[in-house]
Amino acid sequence: MSIQIEHISKRYGSFTALADVSLTIGSGELVALLGPSGSGKTTLLRIIAGLESSDEGSILLHGEESTRHSASRRGIGFVFQHYALFRHMTIIENVAFGLRVQSRLLRPSRSIIRERVRELLHLVQLDSFAEMYPEQLSGGQRQRVALARALAVKPKVLLLDEPFSALDAKVRKELRDWLRRIHDDLHVTTVLVTHDQEEALEVADRVAILNLGKLEQTGTPESIYNNPASPFVYNFLGNVNLFHGRLLAELSFEERAGSTERSIDSAIGFVRPHELELSRNLPADRRAVVASVLRVHAAGPQIRLELSIAGSGRSVAAELSRKQFEQLALVPGDKVFVWPQYIRLFDDDRAMSLLLDQGAGI
Amino acid sequence: MTGHRPVSSSSLLHPSRAQQVGRVTLILLSLLFLLGFLILPVAVVFTQALSQGWKLYRDSICQAYVLFALRLTGLVASIAVPLNLVFGLAASWAITRFEFHGKSLLITFIDIPLSVSPVVAGMMYVEVFGLHGWLGPWLSEHNLHVIFAVPGIVLATVFVTFPFVARELIPFMQAQGSDEEVAAVVLGANGWNVFWRVTLPNIKWALLYGTILAASRSIGEFGAVSVVSGHIRGKTTTLPLQVEMLYNEYNFTAAFAAASLLTLAAVVTLGIKKALEVTTGLRRGNEKEEAKS
Repeated sequence: MSIQIEHISKRYGSFTALADVSLTIGSGELVALLGPSGSGKTTLLRIIAGLESSDEGSILLHGEESTRHSASRRGIGFVFQHYALFRHMTIIENVAFGLRVQSRLLRPSRSIIRERVRELLHLVQLDSFAEMYPEQLSGGQRQRVALARALAVKPKVLLLDEPFSALDAKVRKELRDWLRRIHDDLHVTTVLVTHDQEEALEVADRVAILNLGKLEQTGTPESIYNNPASPFVYNFLGNVNLFHGRLLAELSFEERAGSTERSIDSAIGFVRPHELELSRNLPADRRAVVASVLRVHAAGPQIRLELSIAGSGRSVAAELSRKQFEQLALVPGDKVFVWPQYIRLFDDDRAMSLLLDQGAGI
Repeated sequence: MTGHRPVSSSSLLHPSRAQQVGRVTLILLSLLFLLGFLILPVAVVFTQALSQGWKLYRDSICQAYVLFALRLTGLVASIAVPLNLVFGLAASWAITRFEFHGKSLLITFIDIPLSVSPVVAGMMYVEVFGLHGWLGPWLSEHNLHVIFAVPGIVLATVFVTFPFVARELIPFMQAQGSDEEVAAVVLGANGWNVFWRVTLPNIKWALLYGTILAASRSIGEFGAVSVVSGHIRGKTTTLPLQVEMLYNEYNFTAAFAAASLLTLAAVVTLGIKKALEVTTGLRRGNEKEEAKS
């Protein structure tokens, strides 16, 4: 079932939680609403669920206006950040709840309910936990129960509100992959709210990025990562890029000063850490800045370096493969030449992106 | 020789001689206080009641007036307690689950009966429902008796026991949050199902606890009831009032016999309360243990 979000606005007093957000989610799609806290992503999810009302705009479920339908009548499965399992019920009772409270006419027979609950517990791999209480389960197990409970009523839409954020990193990763597999099996239209860009990019078919109640960009994970539409998106998708922007703004001013291109001097530039090239010798055909190595983080597949630009003292992060790092053999205190392979420039006012291949030019 | 020893937590675990003396003194003092002001008086009630023998004790209790007072007290409690239960639940639900104007005012109002002297509460009712009160003329026109009749006693008891259920439930429900109820709603449950299947099972112990406190208070209430009852023997005397009347008539044995019934009621409620604490405490403890393993 498709979800159409049309011109949704929501204010809390003077605070604007959502400003004219429109988004269409196709049937069977898994869309991630990604944004920092306070961006309005959870509010939007709760409005889709009917747990919150919008000030303006409407929600269409499968083309049908449902803004006025209460949450209990929207046919929605909702998974909460903190599980919200019924603590006085066993796991089996939790999962069966949505079926048991259906009106007499719709309610399946006891044996059908039992069968369905068993299937779901099998799906979430918790068959042997049926008679336990939520308190006896780990966080990851509880969230799986919550998902089974939400799926029991055969929802047309599944909404997940930061479902994995209360779990530790390893479990989070497992559940993420597992959620994707379940989605591929069931093809329920799914909206996942998250502040974790890695999670969004990895799981979703499409990512919608929210900032300050506005939709910044929507697209496939690949297109968003490769073509961020605004400095915000660029910044949000990479981990450590704010100072790069400043560094490269400086860098681009420097190297563009003599050139004839216009309006570049008012732009901000970004380079991701792995797009920086490092060398002990100045290459003949390039311009580069000199930096000294402050710190080396050598644990992990990529070696992360903290550099300090000579002169300005600005600190910059670079990422090298282990092989490159071993060739350079850098230790803290070493001097190194730094230049970007790629630079992405954003015009200050229009947040327009230009991709420049710096590698050949400088 | 060794200088000052720093006072640390270990010195509390392994007390010096002086600390030990201090601890024993404190314990003795509080025990003495309890003995003198609580246990001894309660014991006196029973010894006085039984001082003229078991037969007289039984006869004093089986007096028609005492039996009537016992019945009336039971009747008043059985009306006031369910009313408080319903009110307490409604108020706690509203306060913990909704945002509305005047919420803090409502919370303050709930506490009024605890801060106002019961006598004042009784007088307020006389002022409103009494023969010369605001509604007095209208009530007497319709031949309705509130003051110096059973309805007044019920009203006064309800007022005094008003906060007990709500005060137990509000902090408890606040701590629990409304996540489970929201989850139930999204799963398609209607209000009735949410209440009976999710809310009530979660709050039942706190609710029972508050109800017991309200019941014990409504049985023992004296001040407010005394003002509105009019002390009409066999018509408007509850057990506490009957005790006072017997005492004022120098009928000590009967007074203490009736008082022993009230004391017994208090002991029983305390027992139930303690049992509740133990069972729910144990239950929680067990669940934690299981969760850990």
